[in-house]
Amino acid sequence: MYSRTLIALFSVAVVLSCLGLPALAHTGEGYGGGFVSGFTHPILGWDHVAAMVAVGLWGAFLGAPAIWLLPVVFPIVMALGAVMGILGIPLPAIETGIALSAVVLGLMIVLAARPPLWVSAVLVGAFAIFHGYAHGTELPATANAFAFAVGFVIATGLLHLIGIAFGLLVKWPAGRVAVRGAGALISLAGVGFLTGAV
Amino acid sequence: MILSARRVGGLALAILPAPACAHSPVPGIEGFYTGLVHPLSTPAQALVVMGLGLLLGWLDPKRARVAFAVYGAALIAGLLFGGGPKPYDPVLFATAFAACALAALLSGRLLPLICVVAAAAGWGLGVVSVPDPGPTRDWIITQAGAFLGAALGPFYLFGLSYYLRQRFPAKGVAVALRVAAAWLAAISLVMFALLVAAARLPA
Repeated sequence: MYSRTLIALFSVAVVLSCLGLPALAHTGEGYGGGFVSGFTHPILGWDHVAAMVAVGLWGAFLGAPAIWLLPVVFPIVMALGAVMGILGIPLPAIETGIALSAVVLGLMIVLAARPPLWVSAVLVGAFAIFHGYAHGTELPATANAFAFAVGFVIATGLLHLIGIAFGLLVKWPAGRVAVRGAGALISLAGVGFLTGAV
Repeated sequence: MILSARRVGGLALAILPAPACAHSPVPGIEGFYTGLVHPLSTPAQALVVMGLGLLLGWLDPKRARVAFAVYGAALIAGLLFGGGPKPYDPVLFATAFAACALAALLSGRLLPLICVVAAAAGWGLGVVSVPDPGPTRDWIITQAGAFLGAALGPFYLFGLSYYLRQRFPAKGVAVALRVAAAWLAAISLVMFALLVAAARLPA
């Protein structure tokens, strides 16, 4: 029965794909271009990737309520950082702050640190300012600011989810080792960003 | 339930993209439709609608009734008394940020604060939905559409959010709703800052 349904679905997909309908898509400018450049901004920066994944990993490592609190706190505070960048409020050592976020958050995972929840939130929030600032300073020049904002927030969230998904392996002893190993890698990468080796 | 090939075929026909060439059967009803979709016509308004829906979705129906009454009253007030020039997007983005941040962090606590945000959202959506001056009949029809659209958007989202939390009591759903609200809050805040920064630039 399932196979018949699958065949029917496949046939419909083939028919639909062969239908000659006008292509109404727009170009890479405007909303589409803004979204793509916003979405790829955190993904193409390895320092951002390392830190975002580390936030998710650490949240999963700490368990509830940190598993949801950290990914909720991060984008809101990151937006505050973006606001500072957009408004031109000076913030020193942006790149250093971003690199340090990978080092520190990676270390937290390696050491299996379990500080009070508010300390974790403040730590993650403090680093989110630097990441948001970097996004914010590059935001106004793009094709569509709204689409850029949507793109970079979604990409950031998805990177958190990747970290959380991997971090859920801590339920098993081998997974715990893997997660702490990932933390070590992130921390090392952070050192690389900090020293300019990466 | 397994879908039959006939049903799948029917579904495929129904979702085929094709231009809608029908005209409205009632003269002047276009204004109603324009008003109906107006709350979703700009990012600022759409974010307010989504933020309010997520915020009210944390309330039980009894408490939500209070917030919806406040929202409805403010919406009517905005539609009736909010005419005139209105560069209102920064206010809407700020309201959307407040609604989304409260939805992400407080999850239904502080009803008075929720009512304040609902009032701001209602007033803001009402003000920006006031149509340009024209024949009274068309004006009223458009306003009716705008009221319905602005009322239904948060109402449906409230219903969806409430249903999801009741139907799937696992924590994952609540977490997903909080994360969605946090993302929308971040987008709203960034947009608010962009508009403020643009306003500060010399002309």
